Amino acid sequence: MTALAPDRLRTALAWVVIALIAIPVGGAVVLWVAHGDTPCILCWSQRTSMILIALVGLFVLRYGPRPRYLGMAVLLGTWGVFMALRHSALHLARDVGQGFAAPIFGVHTHVWSWFIHWIVLAVIGVLLLLMRGGFGEWGTRNTGRTGRIAFALFVVVVGANALQAIVTTGPPPFIGQADPVRFSLNPRHWVWMMEELEGRVSLRGSWTIPQPNPEAADPDPTHGPLAPLPSLPVLAWERIGLPLTGKLTDLSRDPASGRFLAVTDRYGMYVLDSTLSRVQHRVVLDPGYSIDLSPLAGAAFLTGDTLALLATNKSYVLLRPDPQADPDREWRHFLETDGGITELRRSRFATVRARQMYVLSLAFDAAADELIAVAVPSPRHRRLVVSRFAGGDLLLASEFEPRLGAGLSPIGPERSAAEYVVTGAVVADGLLYAMSAAYSTLLVIDLQNTTVRGAYAVPGLLHPTGLAARGAQLLVAQADGRVAVVERPVR
Amino acid sequence: MEFLTFLLILWAAWLVWRRPERERLAFGLLVASSLLMALLFLIGTHTSFVPGVNL
Repeated sequence: MTALAPDRLRTALAWVVIALIAIPVGGAVVLWVAHGDTPCILCWSQRTSMILIALVGLFVLRYGPRPRYLGMAVLLGTWGVFMALRHSALHLARDVGQGFAAPIFGVHTHVWSWFIHWIVLAVIGVLLLLMRGGFGEWGTRNTGRTGRIAFALFVVVVGANALQAIVTTGPPPFIGQADPVRFSLNPRHWVWMMEELEGRVSLRGSWTIPQPNPEAADPDPTHGPLAPLPSLPVLAWERIGLPLTGKLTDLSRDPASGRFLAVTDRYGMYVLDSTLSRVQHRVVLDPGYSIDLSPLAGAAFLTGDTLALLATNKSYVLLRPDPQADPDREWRHFLETDGGITELRRSRFATVRARQMYVLSLAFDAAADELIAVAVPSPRHRRLVVSRFAGGDLLLASEFEPRLGAGLSPIGPERSAAEYVVTGAVVADGLLYAMSAAYSTLLVIDLQNTTVRGAYAVPGLLHPTGLAARGAQLLVAQADGRVAVVERPVR
Repeated sequence: MEFLTFLLILWAAWLVWRRPERERLAFGLLVASSLLMALLFLIGTHTSFVPGVNL
């Protein structure tokens, strides 16, 4: 690559400064004058960052490429990329055409900001490649005609920005707004505020979601949020009669064959016979392959002998017993296998109301051909959300927060059904039975009118993790492999 | 505060253009306005400093 002489390099740099000031920053001024466009507080910082990078360019024009100027330019460029990513992340996942403020050439300004800062870093690299010699002192140089144009344009454009800033954000200590209004010369329309100082300081905000820990839940039914509930006594105890890899996290029963499906927190999957004592199939999933699996928390038999497993992060795996399973093809899916299981699909459920919430249960509604998961609350999101996914495409079919039915009411204004931590769920006779590890309470949810029509205390449980139906009985599985048998309430 | 940032920037640019012997002051103003810009962004994002997505 041919290096450029300092004078030519200085001229090239002057044009870079002119382009940076004239196109993105000057373009923003045009949008302001022509359309009344006003930046939000994050836009202001990104625009300022571009101006500061141009200012560093003016320093280099005047004094030469001193290391601290180049250091400032790189720091401002990297900070600008971060700011643009942070800003764009608010809007990138929205639906088609949605964003913040109007797009320019089909791209929103927060994305343009990322592109411009990225280009700045690339241009710095190119200019350094073209620079002849080291970082020797240039002394205070005449900036040349192009340089003078760059200085003059810089002062005019930044002066215009200062004027816009004093009107739209006000003098210190007022600061920019999250949702600015369009520009007006009428002082009655000016919005000067400091609302952006409000709110709790947080690294990740609403994404600060701890992993669910149902073992920490209070098992005492008398401490629950609902008024005194009727009890469902444990009629008998059964037990999974073989050692499992990890703790049991869900148990499902196939009503047609009587087989059981068990999953563990260490990615174990077991198909058991109707006595819970003999293994018909067994695999240990590879949780790190492609779509990541957090610990398994739900299991259900679907139609067609398909087995559905659900992880706490709503990633799911569909399996099928298959005597012709190809061991080489399945090697990538399983850390261990008995050789009789094929993986059909691995993907993720997407939710709306249950977004940013973990799940600890999975049920299958054969009549509706839908899978059902119940989200567990966190300190950030206190909701009880039932999400239903179509069996055909496994996309969200409907979602609701069940209302309390007649005869059920919280014991105080601060209490609600959102305190329940549902770790097991099953559908029977059109009702969703949901077992909560918190307060050892069974909720009976009517799927038609989305109402909790009954709630029952089940004393004597310790860390229930799964729920299955067997005729007129419910089987409450515990982490220790024991299974409590209770009568299945019909209301 | 954005207005104050632009005043600092204009002051620095003016020094570089018309008073080049005041380089130390001009560079100090550049650093100060950069820190003010970063502070305003952090204020605007203090309820979630990192992008609100899966990390």
